[in-house]
Amino acid sequence: MITTEVTFDELSALMKQAAGITVDPEELKEAAESPFDTFGLDSLGLLGIVGELENRYGQPLPPDSERCRTPREFLNLVNSTLTAGA
Amino acid sequence: MSNRRSGRAAVTGIGVIAPNGMRTDAYWKSVREGLTVLDLIGREGCDHLPLRVAGEVRSFDPADLIEDRFLVQTDRFSHFAMAAAALALDDAGLGGEPAEPFSVGVVTAAGSGGGEFGQRELQKLWGKGSKFVGPYQSIAWFYAASTGQISIRSGLKGPCGVVASDEAGGLDCLAHASRAVRRGTDVMVVGAAEAPLAPYSMVCQLGYPELSTVDDPDRAYRPFTEQACGFVPAEGGALLVVEDEARARERGVPVRAVVAGHAATFTGASRWAESREGLARAIRGALDEAGCAPEEIDVVFADAMGVPEADRAEALAIADALGAHGTRVPVTAPKTGIGRAYCAAPVLDTVAAVLAMEHGQVPPTPNVFDTCHDLDLVTSRARPAELRTALVLSRGLMGSNAALVVRRGDDSAR
Repeated sequence: MITTEVTFDELSALMKQAAGITVDPEELKEAAESPFDTFGLDSLGLLGIVGELENRYGQPLPPDSERCRTPREFLNLVNSTLTAGA
Repeated sequence: MSNRRSGRAAVTGIGVIAPNGMRTDAYWKSVREGLTVLDLIGREGCDHLPLRVAGEVRSFDPADLIEDRFLVQTDRFSHFAMAAAALALDDAGLGGEPAEPFSVGVVTAAGSGGGEFGQRELQKLWGKGSKFVGPYQSIAWFYAASTGQISIRSGLKGPCGVVASDEAGGLDCLAHASRAVRRGTDVMVVGAAEAPLAPYSMVCQLGYPELSTVDDPDRAYRPFTEQACGFVPAEGGALLVVEDEARARERGVPVRAVVAGHAATFTGASRWAESREGLARAIRGALDEAGCAPEEIDVVFADAMGVPEADRAEALAIADALGAHGTRVPVTAPKTGIGRAYCAAPVLDTVAAVLAMEHGQVPPTPNVFDTCHDLDLVTSRARPAELRTALVLSRGLMGSNAALVVRRGDDSAR
């Protein structure tokens, strides 16, 4: 059973690392239903975050993960996949 | 915007990020003084390579001028280009959000793309595996990256393009932008910036027989002399704002120069003897388009490859195209103080030509003190002269030749 979830904190840090986008984790959480592009994150940026998470957690994420439109949708998919795969 | 058009492409903005100066005034001061900034390459991972001397842009801190997302997503050559484009737009009084984004286009020339970014990602590929390569690799090392990123960063949605026609593409893109303006685009942001001083990029250049591997910065790049031993590479570049002359006057901004004529030819990679005819034809074509007699050329900014056979071909081409005037007209090559920044080299020369006309001074050719060719080469110090028309020449290692005629703007700022 996986005990750690990908949090808004971690997503915020990944947006910075993979795409150079600065967004406060609290703001990200509050605007979790907003499309990624409102934060300035494009599709290549999300693809980079997916790749980094796959490397970090050592398991593949579903193809749909890079098509998620919002932070909430993305974290739900990622965490359900990581939990199921553990 | 009014429909009144002159059909002439005016230079109204200049932005420079060069080894000898950040911003246009610093660049001009160094060029006018004949300052040389060639030095041993200090970049990490480069000191074991036989290419020792180059013109590095050392005072450029991209974080000062470029937002984080572009630092992560783009290469150094695009950082230079974005910074220079912003300076040029500010100079033209067009900084900030464009009022009519679909009326402003971008065209750049590129010779080597994003080598530093590419090397970093390729090291991840071979060191850790394909899953560790970042997706921005797909766009960052692409020749077209700078055009795209300038248009995105500045919100410009007019016609965009990239000229990949060898080093002389720096002049070809200015012609391309001028044609776009004549066809009806209000404003074009145009120029080139290169960053070829990362280890991977440097190794790619080692195969060029024209590259100077002399390790003395004062002796490594001395075109038109008996000691000529090849050229020294450089990084950096310049972007210009070009718009219709009548539109510029309506806006009330100074017309710094007019792009009057251009022509390009191709004579084959490293076939320097043949470049004589190619370059002469390019000069004649540019003069024709400009409606300019050879005697009207007041100064020539030479390509100055630094290879004896190429230098001879250039000197003869100038004589072929300009006749007796070719041996009397002042010729200069300020790039001997900074090196050749590939596609950006002739753009920096065009900027120097505009500034020379504005200031009435022909800048000197650093590190060159005599010439073995029949040219009036300006050396040691700037020469005062009334300059109305300048000819800029460029050749590429792959065989492209180009010539550009630039006329002084009437309401010169200084």
